[in-house]
Amino acid sequence: MRTWRERIGRAVPRGLAKPLRVLGGKLNPVAAYRRDPAFWKESGTAYLYLLPALVILAVFVFYPFFSAFGISLFKWGVLPPRPYVGLANYTYIFNDKYFWRALGHTIYYVAITVPVTLFLAILVASLLNKGLRFLSFARTSFFVAYISPIVAIAMVWRWMYNTDYGLLNYFLSLLDKLPFVHLNAIAWLNDPKYALNAVIILSIWHFVGYQAIILLAGMQNIEQQYYDAAKVDGATGFQAWRRVTIPLLTPQLFFVFIISLIGSFKVFTEINILLNGSGPLRSAETIVYYILRMSGRIDGGTQHLGRAAAASVVLFGIIFALTVFQMTVTQRKVHYQ
Amino acid sequence: MLRKMVVGLLGVLLLGTAAMAANEPVTIDFWHAMSSGHQPNLQKLATDFMAEYPYITVTLTYQGSYSALQGKINAAVAAGNLPTIAQVYENWVTPIESILYPIGPHMTMMEVGDIVDGLVPSNTYNGVLTTVPFNKSIMVLYYNADLVATPPTSWAEFFDLSKSLTADLNGDGTIERYGTAFRPAANPEQLLVYLDQAGGSILSADWSAVTINDAAGMAAIQFLGSLIPYAFVTADYMSDHMGKVAMFIDTSAGYNYNKTAATNAGYNLGVAMLPAGPATQSSMIQGTNLAVFDVPNQTQAQKDAAVLLARFLLRAENTVFWAMKSGYQPVTKSAYELQTWKDYVAANPYQQEMSAQMLLGFSQILHPNYGDMRSIIATKFDEIMRSATGALDGLNSMAEEIAPLLSE
Repeated sequence: MRTWRERIGRAVPRGLAKPLRVLGGKLNPVAAYRRDPAFWKESGTAYLYLLPALVILAVFVFYPFFSAFGISLFKWGVLPPRPYVGLANYTYIFNDKYFWRALGHTIYYVAITVPVTLFLAILVASLLNKGLRFLSFARTSFFVAYISPIVAIAMVWRWMYNTDYGLLNYFLSLLDKLPFVHLNAIAWLNDPKYALNAVIILSIWHFVGYQAIILLAGMQNIEQQYYDAAKVDGATGFQAWRRVTIPLLTPQLFFVFIISLIGSFKVFTEINILLNGSGPLRSAETIVYYILRMSGRIDGGTQHLGRAAAASVVLFGIIFALTVFQMTVTQRKVHYQ
Repeated sequence: MLRKMVVGLLGVLLLGTAAMAANEPVTIDFWHAMSSGHQPNLQKLATDFMAEYPYITVTLTYQGSYSALQGKINAAVAAGNLPTIAQVYENWVTPIESILYPIGPHMTMMEVGDIVDGLVPSNTYNGVLTTVPFNKSIMVLYYNADLVATPPTSWAEFFDLSKSLTADLNGDGTIERYGTAFRPAANPEQLLVYLDQAGGSILSADWSAVTINDAAGMAAIQFLGSLIPYAFVTADYMSDHMGKVAMFIDTSAGYNYNKTAATNAGYNLGVAMLPAGPATQSSMIQGTNLAVFDVPNQTQAQKDAAVLLARFLLRAENTVFWAMKSGYQPVTKSAYELQTWKDYVAANPYQQEMSAQMLLGFSQILHPNYGDMRSIIATKFDEIMRSATGALDGLNSMAEEIAPLLSE
C-alpha cells in the first residue's frame, strides 16, 4: 500500500508543489489531506501500534538520556546538595589522562573488532551457504558461541589464556618445537601489550557466529536468477560472489556493521571478567569501564555521577556521529533487490 | 489489705501493658552480601536473636556481591527505601554518614570498650561510634611450608628469603618460582600495610596534608621496589597462582581458598604474622561493618531493633560462632578470651597467627574521597611493581594526584 505522502506526491504536479505550499491554507494539499478523516484513521492506527514501543523507549531510553545530560551539569553525589557546575564535569574528563587513554583503548578495540569480525562472518556465511551436509548443525554451533552468557565464556577463556596451563600457550609450545621457531609463553592477561588483544580475540570469537547467521539469512534470500544470469555471462564462482552476493548482501552488512559498531563502543563485561579489572596498567580500560569507575560502581571508587554522566554524553555523541555518518554516507552503497 | 492488693494488681496490669506496648511486633530488613556458604550461619544467628527477642522479626536479604550491595544501597538512598540495617564498607557510607543512625550511643560503655581497638576509628564519625564491625579479616603472611621452614619476622628477612626462593627451575631463562607476589591494582592495601609498618600514612592526622611520600612512605616504597625482581605481579587472586609463589600477603578471609589451592599445587600452606617493619608489625583490617539507617521509611522501633541486633552480634559467643564458621576474625576483645575460641585456636594453629595479627590491626581512613585515593594508589602501585615507573617517581606522582582530593 502506498503511503499518504506518496499519494500526495503523485497528486500534486512537481511544478505546482512550491506555489501551493506558499499559498498554504485551503490550497495546501497536505493541510487538505490532514482534514481528511482517512488520514487521521490511518495515522491514528499507526501511532496506536507504535505507542507501546514509544512508551518503553521514552521511559528506558529518552528519559535516561536527558536525565544523564542534566546530571552531567551538576556535582552529583549520593546525597544533596548537588550544586550546578556548568561544564566543569566535561572540563574534568577532558583533562583526565585516563579518559583519553580509555577513549584510545575503545577506538583500538572497535577498529580491530568490527572489521575483523565482519570479514570472518562473511567468510563463514559464504561457506555455510555452499550447502553443507550438516548446515543446521554448523549454524547451531556458530550460534552457540553467541547465545552463551558472556560471563561464562570469559571464565572459560581465562583458563584458555592461562600463562602456565592455558590451551593457547600449549599450541604456542607446540609451534616452539618446530625448527627455527622460537616462541615464549605469553602472559595474555597479565601483560599490558596483550591484555586488550586478548579481549579482542574473545569478542571476535563471540560475535562472528551471530553475524554469520544474519548474513547467511541474507545470502539465502538472494534470488537464484541473479546467479543464473551471472553464469550465463560467464562469471566464475568468485566473480559471482563479489559482483552478486556482496552487493545484494549490503542491507544485512550495513545492519550488522552498525549494530556491531555501537555494541563495540560499549564493551565492558568481557574486560571486567577476563581481566579481573581493567587489565595490567589499566591497559584495557574502555570508555564504559571509565564511566562505571566514575560512578563508583567498580574498584571501590568514590561516586562522581556528574563526571560519569558527562563521559556517557560524550560516548553518546561519538556513537551518534558515527551512526549518522553511516546512515548518510555508507547507506548510499547499500543495494536492495 | 484489699486496697493494697487492688493497687498492686493495677500496677502489674499497667507494667504488663507498658511492656506489651514496648514490645509490639517489629520487622527489620538486613541487607547482606554473604554468599550461600555463610548464609546458614547468618540465619542461625538471626534465629537465635529472634528467639531472644520474640517481638522482632529479622528478614535477611542477600543482595549479591559487595558491588551489587553497594549499588543497591545507593539506589535505595535515591529511592528512599533503605533497609533498617546493612553490611557496609567504610567508603560506601562516608558520603552518606548523615543518614546513619549511630549505634554506639545505644551501647553500654563495656560493650563499646570491648571492640578491638583497631576497629574503633573506622567506625567512628565525628567522635561518635556510628557503625560497628561485623565480618572482619586481617592481612597475614601465607607461605609454602615445604620451602620455608621459619617464616620471616622482619623486612630484611623477608627480602632475603624472597630473593633466595626466586628460581628458574628448568633453566629456560624464565622464572618458574617467585619469592613473593603482589596484586597492586586489585589490593592496594598491600602498600598501605608497608606504609603503616614504616610509620607512615596517606594523610596527616587532620587530613590537611598528603603525607604518603614523606620519609616513611619513601622507605616503604623503596623496600617494595627492591622486591620487584623477586615478585610475581598480577590482578588475580593468589589462589590462581599458588604453584609459582613461595610467600605472599593476603587477607585471612582467603584462608580456605588458599589452603585448597596449595593442596592442589602439592604443598603445605603456612600462615604467619607479617614480617615487622621499622616502626610496627601492624596489618590492615578489611571487611564490612553494620550500619543502621536513620531515614523516614524506618520507624524508631525498627531502628531500636536493629541496634539490638548489632549488639547481639557483637557478643563474645556470637562473634566467635561467626568467626569459627565463616573464617572471619572475632571483633571484640572478650571474644579472644572465650574458652570456645581458645579451644578453636588450639585446634587450628594458623588462627593463632591471625588472631595475634588482628590485635595489631589498623583500618582505612574515613575521608569522603578515600575511594578515589585508593584508586590512585592502586594505579601507581601497579605501575611501580610492573616497572612502568620508578618507585620514588610513582610515589610522588601518587601524592600529586591525591592532593587535589583534599579540597574537593
